[in-house]
Amino acid sequence: MATNPFAEYKWQALFTDWRLFADGLTVTIEVAIVALLVALLLGILFGVAGVFPNKNLRILNRVYVEFFQNTPLVIQVIFLYHALPHLKIVLPVFAIGSLGIGIYTGAYMAEVVRSGILAIPRGQLEAGLSQGFTYFQAMRYLILPQAKKIILPSIANQGVNLIKNTSVLAMIAGGDLMYQADSWSGMNMYYGPAYIVTGLLYWLLCFPLTKYVKHLEGSSEVRP
Amino acid sequence: MNLSRKKMLTLGLALITAFGLFAAGCGGDTKKDAAQKPAATNDGIQKIKDRGVLKVGCKVDVPKFGFKDPKTNKIEGFEIDLAKAIAKKILGDENKIDLTGVVAKTRGPLLDSGEIDLCIATFTITDERKQTYNMTTPYYEDPVGFLVKKDSGIKSIKDLNGKNIAVPQGATTRKGVQDAADKAGVKVTFSEFPTYSECKTALSAGRADAYAMDTSNLLGYIDDSTEILPDKIAPQFYGAATKKDNKALFDLVEKTFEDMKKSGEMDKLLTKWNLKK
Repeated sequence: MATNPFAEYKWQALFTDWRLFADGLTVTIEVAIVALLVALLLGILFGVAGVFPNKNLRILNRVYVEFFQNTPLVIQVIFLYHALPHLKIVLPVFAIGSLGIGIYTGAYMAEVVRSGILAIPRGQLEAGLSQGFTYFQAMRYLILPQAKKIILPSIANQGVNLIKNTSVLAMIAGGDLMYQADSWSGMNMYYGPAYIVTGLLYWLLCFPLTKYVKHLEGSSEVRP
Repeated sequence: MNLSRKKMLTLGLALITAFGLFAAGCGGDTKKDAAQKPAATNDGIQKIKDRGVLKVGCKVDVPKFGFKDPKTNKIEGFEIDLAKAIAKKILGDENKIDLTGVVAKTRGPLLDSGEIDLCIATFTITDERKQTYNMTTPYYEDPVGFLVKKDSGIKSIKDLNGKNIAVPQGATTRKGVQDAADKAGVKVTFSEFPTYSECKTALSAGRADAYAMDTSNLLGYIDDSTEILPDKIAPQFYGAATKKDNKALFDLVEKTFEDMKKSGEMDKLLTKWNLKK
């Protein structure tokens, strides 16, 4: 009976210690929200930079996107946590979580924004410019509102990925949900209930968002 | 739209139910298995004999206990020799062992799944763990020590007030340190890391002010800039572990260790690995 990873007394132990998991969930949600804001901001800025007439800005977009898309998040986070202190820069774990994951996801969002803008026929921009709009006005009033419909589902999708990616904090003692599950189950070996409940909590966080993506895709007139 | 929303909801509920059934199903099956099997037969040992090899979980990163030498690629140590003694007892050949490197987090699941028969991996005996696994009488006792930077000014447990301490995940160290800190009236915080080397990295990076772990383990990580505090706490007792239902193997291991202690063989091994106090 005791060999069963899901034995009843292990579940009971989990419900006794539920606070630990609640704390972890809170940290995960907080990190995810800040990271999402960072990612959105960077995504829009660099996304627009990617279609800008100025070549240097376009190069900046490429460097940012290619660097962060092509290195593992784990390495970026480990670097921020273990290597930066040797350069006398000690970022708190929360900042590493929200900034690190935010900057990483921002690269993906920049690509989404860039391709969304490119999907709008060039004639739209030209029509705007010929009517006396400046480049920025044309972007702001003509292109972005149209691109929004294409962009939003993918942005929300990246948001789901972002939530799941916050679990890398477990590697740097981040106090998030995954860390608490590792810590608690490592101590008492009740890994069965620990990971089932943790998986379920992540699922509950992400499921409404994926549902929202579906809804956005449905309501968007432009279908892929 | 309404229909699809309903569908999604149904799907979601179905998933949750499936999750629950899976968990519950696992529970039911194992219980039945345990009930049908007569308690202590030789099944566990016969299986190993049929297989012709003893599968042992060991450490690969703890010098003197279980350490994979990067030059020879061989795993060696006191605990490996213990495993060999068990293999000799069951199979008549000490080389018929199949070693699997484990960390604190993986040894439980590996035992449960039957991936390893026996775990001899600086596994500290606790009441909680005894409830889930068979654990032998201790074959080694090791107190917890603190590795600190020489220039940190930390000289005793009292100096740890308000400090952050790195401890490995899945080890009993955290509780031991917490108890000692409470007793000394100091407040400490903890950062847990998956591996020992990450604990040491955190100490070097200044993320943690001390790295607390079994002293024998710390010896492998000491360098020019770090030292081990003279204060030692919470003696950790190492035992070998088997799955709860493999009582036969457990009894044999227990008996073998006992014989080795009596015959002086255990002492010889301790001396061989320079672990004698």
